[in-house]
Amino acid sequence: MSTLDAQTWLADHGDYLFRVARRQLHSDEQAEDAVQETLLAAIVAQARYAGDASPRTWLTGILKHKIVDLIRKQLREVALPCDEEGEEAVDLLFKQDGHWAEPLRPWGNPQAEAELSQLRHVLDECADRLKPAMAQVFSLREVAGMETEEICKELGISPTNCWVLLHRARLFMRQCLELNGFSKAGAA
Amino acid sequence: MKWIPTCKETTVLASRAMDARLPFADRVAMQLHLLICENCARFARQLHEMRRLFSVETDAYDDAKGLTDTARQRIATELQDKLDR
Repeated sequence: MSTLDAQTWLADHGDYLFRVARRQLHSDEQAEDAVQETLLAAIVAQARYAGDASPRTWLTGILKHKIVDLIRKQLREVALPCDEEGEEAVDLLFKQDGHWAEPLRPWGNPQAEAELSQLRHVLDECADRLKPAMAQVFSLREVAGMETEEICKELGISPTNCWVLLHRARLFMRQCLELNGFSKAGAA
Repeated sequence: MKWIPTCKETTVLASRAMDARLPFADRVAMQLHLLICENCARFARQLHEMRRLFSVETDAYDDAKGLTDTARQRIATELQDKLDR
């Protein structure tokens, strides 16, 4: 039965799993790896799959662990957070006395699906542009909805590093969104 | 930190408030600043807006690209190898 199942999972849920992974991992290759690892693990684990959940839900559960594994591996390779470069970039957003260097522009309040879809692409592009460590922690928090404690524990970084990464990621994300179309329609 | 924090300090507090409950003194300090600072009040609102936009279910991403044919083929081959072993 397995051959058929695994290939069917790929056919039926491959795109979905890829999209879930791609929103949290910031490269196509890594997202592809996550899908592959998930399906390989699913072959091994299928004896334990009781069929209580839908295959998609079950596979997505496996995928979440694979995503965290990949991020952990990547964080071992990239320089960690409290670097001076990031600090300088933050300093540029503020004046010496701690006030904002530029006033913040209001964001529009898009309702139309076409406009929302456009903004989602901007969101993803801005997330991809963050430095790797920042992007990963930000996505685990805001896309995957993990608690910061859990993120620190899973990735083996200190809570202070976590706070700093999230703060910087949010400052840069906000600015990127403002510069790329969020402030056009002007309301919020 | 003086009893009313600067904008820069307030963004640290506002960010942390998205993830945990702030200590009382910090919460008061932040609220005082937000009352008098339009930029930071906007920043705090936009943090919530970002969270709302990012937490959209992946189902809403149907128009995002899926696996490429090459990747799909490669994964299919890997699965087959695993199954044949």
